[in-house]
Amino acid sequence: MDRNQIAKWFKEPSKMANKYSLHAIYFCTGCGIIEVPPVITARWDAERFGVIPVATPRQANLFLITGYVSVKTLKAIIRTYEQMYEPKYTVAFGSCPINGGMYWDSYNTIKHLDKYIPIDGWIAGCMPRPEAIFVAVTHLWTLIDKGMANGYERYKKYYRAYRRNQELALGKLEWPPLYPIGEHTEGGECD
Amino acid sequence: MIEQLKRELEATFKGVSVTSEADRRITVVVDPLQALALLRFFKDRGFSHLALLSAVDLIDKHAFELVYVLTSYVEDTGEDAVPGELILVVKSMIPRDKPTFKSVISIYPNAEPYEREIHELFGIHFDGHPRLTPLFLERQYPIPPFRKDFDTRRYVEDVFGSIPAIGDEEG
Repeated sequence: MDRNQIAKWFKEPSKMANKYSLHAIYFCTGCGIIEVPPVITARWDAERFGVIPVATPRQANLFLITGYVSVKTLKAIIRTYEQMYEPKYTVAFGSCPINGGMYWDSYNTIKHLDKYIPIDGWIAGCMPRPEAIFVAVTHLWTLIDKGMANGYERYKKYYRAYRRNQELALGKLEWPPLYPIGEHTEGGECD
Repeated sequence: MIEQLKRELEATFKGVSVTSEADRRITVVVDPLQALALLRFFKDRGFSHLALLSAVDLIDKHAFELVYVLTSYVEDTGEDAVPGELILVVKSMIPRDKPTFKSVISIYPNAEPYEREIHELFGIHFDGHPRLTPLFLERQYPIPPFRKDFDTRRYVEDVFGSIPAIGDEEG
Protein backbone atom coordinates (compact mmCIF):
# COMPACT_ATOMS: atom_id res chain seq x y z
CA MET A 1 0.00 0.00 0.00
CA ASP A 2 1.11 3.44 -0.82
CA ARG A 3 2.01 5.58 2.17
CA ASN A 4 0.61 8.74 0.66
CA GLN A 5 -2.82 7.10 0.51
CA ILE A 6 -3.18 6.96 4.27
CA ALA A 7 -5.29 10.09 4.26
CA LYS A 8 -7.69 8.42 1.85
CA TRP A 9 -7.89 5.39 4.08
CA PHE A 10 -8.96 7.48 7.04
CA LYS A 11 -11.41 9.46 4.96
CA GLU A 12 -13.23 6.66 3.17
CA PRO A 13 -12.12 3.31 4.55
CA SER A 14 -14.90 1.27 3.01
CA LYS A 15 -14.26 2.60 -0.44
CA MET A 16 -10.56 1.90 -0.17
CA ALA A 17 -11.23 -1.58 1.12
CA ASN A 18 -13.54 -2.27 -1.80
CA LYS A 19 -11.00 -0.92 -4.17
CA TYR A 20 -8.13 -3.13 -3.03
CA SER A 21 -10.07 -6.33 -2.57
CA LEU A 22 -11.87 -6.91 -5.80
CA HIS A 23 -13.40 -10.34 -5.61
CA ALA A 24 -13.98 -11.35 -9.15
CA ILE A 25 -16.58 -13.62 -10.63
CA TYR A 26 -15.78 -14.68 -14.15
CA PHE A 27 -18.43 -15.43 -16.65
CA CYS A 28 -16.93 -17.82 -19.12
CA THR A 29 -19.02 -16.83 -22.08
CA GLY A 30 -16.46 -17.10 -24.82
CA CYS A 31 -12.86 -17.37 -25.78
CA GLY A 32 -11.80 -14.77 -23.22
CA ILE A 33 -11.86 -17.26 -20.41
CA ILE A 34 -8.64 -18.70 -21.76
CA GLU A 35 -6.90 -15.53 -20.59
CA VAL A 36 -8.16 -15.85 -17.04
CA PRO A 37 -6.23 -18.90 -15.73
CA PRO A 38 -2.82 -17.30 -16.44
CA VAL A 39 -4.07 -14.10 -14.84
CA ILE A 40 -5.12 -15.67 -11.57
CA THR A 41 -2.23 -18.10 -11.30
CA ALA A 42 1.44 -17.56 -10.63
CA ARG A 43 2.49 -16.25 -14.00
CA TRP A 44 0.68 -12.93 -13.78
CA ASP A 45 -0.75 -13.32 -10.28
CA ALA A 46 -3.79 -11.11 -10.05
CA GLU A 47 -3.64 -11.16 -6.27
CA ARG A 48 -0.88 -8.55 -6.45
CA PHE A 49 -3.73 -6.24 -7.38
CA GLY A 50 -6.13 -7.63 -4.83
CA VAL A 51 -8.14 -9.51 -7.43
CA ILE A 52 -9.03 -13.03 -6.45
CA PRO A 53 -11.59 -15.31 -8.03
CA VAL A 54 -14.54 -16.35 -5.91
CA ALA A 55 -17.01 -19.13 -6.29
CA THR A 56 -20.38 -17.45 -6.30
CA PRO A 57 -21.80 -14.07 -7.30
CA ARG A 58 -22.88 -13.43 -3.74
CA GLN A 59 -19.24 -13.16 -2.68
CA ALA A 60 -18.12 -11.07 -5.62
CA ASN A 61 -17.94 -7.40 -6.38
CA LEU A 62 -16.16 -7.48 -9.72
CA PHE A 63 -17.89 -9.06 -12.67
CA LEU A 64 -15.72 -9.93 -15.65
CA ILE A 65 -17.60 -10.83 -18.79
CA THR A 66 -15.13 -12.51 -21.06
CA GLY A 67 -16.19 -12.88 -24.63
CA TYR A 68 -19.28 -12.86 -26.76
CA VAL A 69 -22.70 -12.96 -25.18
CA SER A 70 -25.38 -15.06 -26.77
CA VAL A 71 -29.03 -14.47 -26.02
CA LYS A 72 -29.18 -17.44 -23.73
CA THR A 73 -26.04 -16.34 -21.90
CA LEU A 74 -27.47 -12.87 -21.41
CA LYS A 75 -30.16 -14.33 -19.22
CA ALA A 76 -27.56 -15.93 -16.96
CA ILE A 77 -25.50 -12.74 -16.92
CA ILE A 78 -28.44 -10.67 -15.75
CA ARG A 79 -29.26 -13.14 -13.03
CA THR A 80 -25.64 -13.25 -11.89
CA TYR A 81 -25.35 -9.49 -11.89
CA GLU A 82 -28.52 -9.02 -9.87
CA GLN A 83 -27.29 -11.43 -7.21
CA MET A 84 -24.09 -9.52 -6.53
CA TYR A 85 -23.80 -7.19 -3.56
CA GLU A 86 -23.26 -3.51 -3.96
CA PRO A 87 -20.94 -1.86 -4.70
CA LYS A 88 -20.37 -3.99 -7.76
CA TYR A 89 -18.26 -3.26 -10.79
CA THR A 90 -18.54 -4.74 -14.24
CA VAL A 91 -15.77 -5.04 -16.78
CA ALA A 92 -16.47 -6.35 -20.25
CA PHE A 93 -13.55 -8.13 -21.78
CA GLY A 94 -12.82 -8.26 -25.48
CA SER A 95 -14.42 -6.57 -28.42
CA CYS A 96 -17.49 -8.80 -28.62
CA PRO A 97 -19.46 -7.27 -25.71
CA ILE A 98 -18.65 -3.80 -27.03
CA ASN A 99 -20.34 -4.03 -30.39
CA GLY A 100 -20.56 -7.67 -31.35
CA GLY A 101 -17.00 -7.93 -32.61
CA MET A 102 -16.66 -10.65 -35.18
CA TYR A 103 -20.22 -11.71 -34.41
CA TRP A 104 -21.61 -8.37 -35.54
CA ASP A 105 -24.08 -10.02 -37.93
CA SER A 106 -24.86 -13.10 -35.91
CA TYR A 107 -28.49 -13.93 -35.35
CA ASN A 108 -28.00 -14.97 -31.75
CA THR A 109 -25.34 -12.72 -30.25
CA ILE A 110 -26.00 -9.62 -28.20
CA LYS A 111 -24.34 -6.65 -29.85
CA HIS A 112 -24.10 -3.97 -27.17
CA LEU A 113 -23.94 -5.41 -23.70
CA ASP A 114 -24.39 -2.03 -22.01
CA LYS A 115 -27.96 -1.92 -23.25
CA TYR A 116 -28.82 -4.70 -20.81
CA ILE A 117 -26.58 -4.27 -17.79
CA PRO A 118 -24.36 -1.29 -16.89
CA ILE A 119 -20.68 -1.67 -17.71
CA ASP A 120 -18.02 0.25 -15.84
CA GLY A 121 -15.04 -0.56 -17.98
CA TRP A 122 -14.27 -2.02 -21.37
CA ILE A 123 -11.13 -3.82 -22.43
CA ALA A 124 -10.80 -3.69 -26.19
CA GLY A 125 -9.01 -6.34 -28.16
CA CYS A 126 -9.57 -9.72 -29.65
CA MET A 127 -8.27 -11.13 -27.40
CA PRO A 128 -6.68 -8.70 -24.94
CA ARG A 129 -3.45 -9.76 -23.31
CA PRO A 130 -3.51 -10.67 -19.61
CA GLU A 131 -1.70 -7.41 -18.90
CA ALA A 132 -4.75 -5.60 -20.22
CA ILE A 133 -6.73 -6.94 -17.29
CA PHE A 134 -4.31 -5.25 -14.91
CA VAL A 135 -4.45 -2.03 -16.85
CA ALA A 136 -8.21 -2.27 -16.52
CA VAL A 137 -7.98 -2.98 -12.80
CA THR A 138 -5.73 -0.01 -12.13
CA HIS A 139 -7.99 2.13 -14.27
CA LEU A 140 -10.94 0.87 -12.29
CA TRP A 141 -9.20 2.01 -9.11
CA THR A 142 -9.04 5.49 -10.53
CA LEU A 143 -12.69 5.35 -11.47
CA ILE A 144 -13.66 4.13 -8.00
CA ASP A 145 -11.60 6.92 -6.45
CA LYS A 146 -13.38 9.52 -8.52
CA GLY A 147 -16.77 7.92 -7.98
CA MET A 148 -17.20 7.26 -11.69
CA ALA A 149 -17.55 3.49 -11.45
CA ASN A 150 -21.19 3.89 -10.60
CA GLY A 151 -22.76 1.24 -12.79
CA TYR A 152 -24.79 -0.21 -9.95
CA GLU A 153 -26.25 3.22 -9.21
CA ARG A 154 -27.15 3.70 -12.84
CA TYR A 155 -28.74 0.28 -12.82
CA LYS A 156 -30.93 1.28 -9.92
CA LYS A 157 -31.73 4.64 -11.43
CA TYR A 158 -32.58 3.51 -14.94
CA TYR A 159 -33.87 0.10 -13.94
CA ARG A 160 -37.06 0.50 -15.92
CA ALA A 161 -35.14 1.09 -19.12
CA TYR A 162 -32.76 -1.78 -18.43
CA ARG A 163 -35.61 -4.12 -17.64
CA ARG A 164 -37.44 -3.06 -20.78
CA ASN A 165 -34.37 -3.74 -22.91
CA GLN A 166 -33.90 -7.11 -21.26
CA GLU A 167 -37.47 -8.00 -22.06
CA LEU A 168 -37.06 -6.81 -25.63
CA ALA A 169 -34.16 -9.19 -26.09
CA LEU A 170 -35.34 -12.14 -24.04
CA GLY A 171 -39.09 -11.97 -24.09
CA LYS A 172 -40.91 -12.31 -20.81
CA LEU A 173 -38.50 -12.66 -17.90
CA GLU A 174 -39.38 -15.32 -15.39
CA TRP A 175 -37.96 -13.54 -12.37
CA PRO A 176 -39.44 -10.51 -10.63
CA PRO A 177 -37.92 -7.05 -10.97
CA LEU A 178 -34.96 -6.33 -8.74
CA TYR A 179 -36.14 -2.83 -7.98
CA PRO A 180 -39.72 -1.56 -7.98
CA ILE A 181 -40.80 -0.33 -11.37
CA GLY A 182 -43.81 1.50 -12.57
CA GLU A 183 -45.82 2.71 -9.58
CA HIS A 184 -44.49 6.10 -8.66
CA THR A 185 -42.85 7.12 -11.94
CA GLU A 186 -45.55 8.08 -14.37
CA GLY A 187 -43.88 10.55 -16.66
CA GLY A 188 -40.17 10.04 -16.42
CA GLU A 189 -38.04 7.00 -16.96
CA CYS A 190 -36.11 7.28 -13.75
CA ASP A 191 -36.21 8.03 -10.09
CA MET B 1 -12.60 -54.13 -48.48
CA ILE B 2 -14.14 -51.06 -50.09
CA GLU B 3 -14.83 -52.92 -53.28
CA GLN B 4 -16.53 -55.72 -51.43
CA LEU B 5 -18.73 -53.29 -49.50
CA LYS B 6 -19.58 -51.48 -52.69
CA ARG B 7 -20.62 -54.67 -54.44
CA GLU B 8 -22.70 -55.69 -51.49
CA LEU B 9 -24.44 -52.34 -51.32
CA GLU B 10 -25.26 -52.24 -54.97
CA ALA B 11 -26.65 -55.74 -54.80
CA THR B 12 -28.86 -54.91 -51.80
CA PHE B 13 -30.09 -51.40 -52.50
CA LYS B 14 -31.39 -49.90 -55.69
CA GLY B 15 -30.01 -46.62 -56.98
CA VAL B 16 -27.25 -46.26 -54.45
CA SER B 17 -24.14 -44.45 -55.57
CA VAL B 18 -20.97 -45.28 -53.71
CA THR B 19 -17.90 -43.14 -54.13
CA SER B 20 -14.68 -42.86 -52.23
CA GLU B 21 -12.92 -39.52 -52.30
CA ALA B 22 -10.21 -40.34 -49.82
CA ASP B 23 -8.67 -43.32 -48.16
CA ARG B 24 -10.89 -44.87 -45.54
CA ARG B 25 -13.82 -42.62 -46.41
CA ILE B 26 -16.82 -43.81 -48.37
CA THR B 27 -19.69 -41.61 -49.44
CA VAL B 28 -23.01 -43.28 -50.03
CA VAL B 29 -25.80 -41.27 -51.64
CA VAL B 30 -29.20 -42.82 -51.18
CA ASP B 31 -32.77 -41.71 -51.74
CA PRO B 32 -34.69 -40.90 -48.55
CA LEU B 33 -37.03 -43.86 -48.72
CA GLN B 34 -34.13 -46.28 -48.45
CA ALA B 35 -32.02 -44.28 -46.01
CA LEU B 36 -33.27 -45.93 -42.85
CA ALA B 37 -32.86 -49.40 -44.25
CA LEU B 38 -29.35 -48.47 -45.33
CA LEU B 39 -28.46 -47.16 -41.86
CA ARG B 40 -29.85 -50.31 -40.30
CA PHE B 41 -27.78 -52.34 -42.74
CA PHE B 42 -24.63 -50.49 -41.75
CA LYS B 43 -25.35 -50.82 -38.07
CA ASP B 44 -25.68 -54.56 -38.47
CA ARG B 45 -22.32 -54.58 -40.23
CA GLY B 46 -20.57 -53.03 -37.24
CA PHE B 47 -20.93 -49.29 -37.81
CA SER B 48 -22.39 -48.83 -34.37
CA HIS B 49 -21.43 -45.20 -33.83
CA LEU B 50 -23.23 -42.23 -35.34
CA ALA B 51 -20.47 -39.65 -35.16
CA LEU B 52 -22.42 -36.78 -36.67
CA LEU B 53 -25.78 -35.93 -38.11
CA SER B 54 -25.83 -32.72 -40.04
CA ALA B 55 -27.87 -30.94 -42.64
CA VAL B 56 -27.00 -28.81 -45.64
CA ASP B 57 -29.34 -26.29 -47.22
CA LEU B 58 -28.93 -26.67 -50.96
CA ILE B 59 -31.15 -23.77 -51.90
CA ASP B 60 -30.31 -23.93 -55.62
CA LYS B 61 -31.44 -27.52 -55.82
CA HIS B 62 -34.47 -26.83 -53.57
CA ALA B 63 -33.41 -29.54 -51.21
CA PHE B 64 -31.97 -30.26 -47.81
CA GLU B 65 -29.21 -32.81 -47.66
CA LEU B 66 -28.96 -34.83 -44.49
CA VAL B 67 -25.50 -36.17 -43.75
CA TYR B 68 -24.92 -39.13 -41.46
CA VAL B 69 -21.34 -39.91 -40.52
CA LEU B 70 -20.85 -43.42 -39.23
CA THR B 71 -17.80 -45.01 -37.73
CA SER B 72 -17.10 -48.23 -35.96
CA TYR B 73 -15.44 -49.17 -32.73
CA VAL B 74 -14.69 -52.65 -33.96
CA GLU B 75 -11.20 -53.48 -35.13
CA ASP B 76 -10.70 -54.46 -38.71
CA THR B 77 -10.35 -58.21 -38.64
CA GLY B 78 -9.71 -58.48 -42.32
CA GLU B 79 -12.07 -61.01 -43.75
CA ASP B 80 -15.60 -60.38 -42.48
CA ALA B 81 -16.01 -56.85 -43.84
CA VAL B 82 -16.22 -55.15 -40.47
CA PRO B 83 -14.34 -52.01 -41.41
CA GLY B 84 -12.69 -50.72 -38.30
CA GLU B 85 -11.05 -47.68 -39.77
CA LEU B 86 -13.61 -46.74 -42.37
CA ILE B 87 -15.68 -43.59 -42.13
CA LEU B 88 -19.01 -43.83 -43.84
CA VAL B 89 -20.82 -40.73 -45.02
CA VAL B 90 -24.45 -41.38 -45.86
CA LYS B 91 -26.17 -38.56 -47.70
CA SER B 92 -29.82 -38.21 -48.51
CA MET B 93 -31.69 -35.36 -50.14
CA ILE B 94 -35.18 -34.34 -49.06
CA PRO B 95 -37.30 -31.69 -50.78
CA ARG B 96 -37.07 -28.21 -49.39
CA ASP B 97 -40.78 -27.43 -49.49
CA LYS B 98 -41.69 -30.57 -47.54
CA PRO B 99 -38.89 -30.95 -45.01
CA THR B 100 -39.78 -34.07 -43.09
CA PHE B 101 -37.73 -37.15 -42.49
CA LYS B 102 -37.87 -40.23 -40.35
CA SER B 103 -36.14 -40.13 -37.03
CA VAL B 104 -33.22 -42.54 -36.68
CA ILE B 105 -33.39 -42.74 -32.90
CA SER B 106 -34.56 -46.32 -33.11
CA ILE B 107 -31.28 -47.18 -34.83
CA TYR B 108 -28.86 -44.69 -33.28
CA PRO B 109 -30.18 -43.33 -29.95
CA ASN B 110 -27.56 -40.61 -29.84
CA ALA B 111 -29.23 -38.93 -32.81
CA GLU B 112 -31.72 -37.36 -30.42
CA PRO B 113 -29.93 -34.03 -29.74
CA TYR B 114 -28.73 -33.81 -33.34
CA GLU B 115 -32.26 -34.06 -34.62
CA ARG B 116 -33.48 -31.50 -32.13
CA GLU B 117 -30.75 -29.16 -33.26
CA ILE B 118 -31.53 -29.63 -36.94
CA HIS B 119 -35.22 -29.19 -36.28
CA GLU B 120 -34.50 -25.94 -34.50
CA LEU B 121 -31.95 -24.48 -36.88
CA PHE B 122 -33.17 -25.79 -40.24
CA GLY B 123 -36.82 -26.47 -39.56
CA ILE B 124 -36.67 -30.08 -40.65
CA HIS B 125 -39.28 -32.19 -38.90
CA PHE B 126 -38.32 -35.67 -37.78
CA ASP B 127 -41.19 -38.12 -37.55
CA GLY B 128 -41.02 -40.29 -34.48
CA HIS B 129 -38.84 -38.00 -32.41
CA PRO B 130 -40.12 -37.93 -28.82
CA ARG B 131 -39.55 -34.25 -28.08
CA LEU B 132 -38.67 -31.71 -30.71
CA THR B 133 -38.41 -28.85 -28.23
CA PRO B 134 -35.95 -25.95 -28.60
CA LEU B 135 -32.39 -26.82 -27.71
CA PHE B 136 -30.24 -23.70 -28.09
CA LEU B 137 -32.29 -20.75 -29.11
CA GLU B 138 -34.18 -18.44 -26.80
CA ARG B 139 -35.97 -16.28 -29.32
CA GLN B 140 -38.58 -16.98 -31.93
CA TYR B 141 -37.25 -16.55 -35.45
CA PRO B 142 -39.31 -15.74 -38.55
CA ILE B 143 -37.73 -18.66 -40.41
CA PRO B 144 -35.18 -21.08 -39.01
CA PRO B 145 -31.89 -19.20 -38.86
CA PHE B 146 -29.60 -21.66 -40.60
CA ARG B 147 -31.58 -21.66 -43.81
CA LYS B 148 -29.89 -19.87 -46.65
CA ASP B 149 -32.76 -17.46 -47.17
CA PHE B 150 -32.55 -16.18 -43.59
CA ASP B 151 -31.16 -12.66 -43.87
CA THR B 152 -29.03 -12.35 -40.76
CA ARG B 153 -27.99 -8.75 -41.35
CA ARG B 154 -31.50 -7.50 -41.71
CA TYR B 155 -32.56 -9.56 -38.71
CA VAL B 156 -29.76 -8.06 -36.62
CA GLU B 157 -30.74 -4.56 -37.70
CA ASP B 158 -34.39 -5.17 -36.98
CA VAL B 159 -34.00 -6.82 -33.61
CA PHE B 160 -30.77 -5.78 -31.93
CA GLY B 161 -30.52 -2.45 -33.72
CA SER B 162 -33.97 -1.43 -32.55
CA ILE B 163 -33.17 -1.82 -28.85
CA PRO B 164 -32.43 1.69 -27.59
CA ALA B 165 -29.31 2.61 -25.69
CA ILE B 166 -29.86 3.51 -22.08
CA GLY B 167 -28.28 6.97 -21.95
CA ASP B 168 -30.27 8.46 -24.82
CA GLU B 169 -33.75 8.86 -23.50
CA GLU B 170 -33.18 9.83 -19.89
CA GLY B 171 -30.99 12.87 -20.63
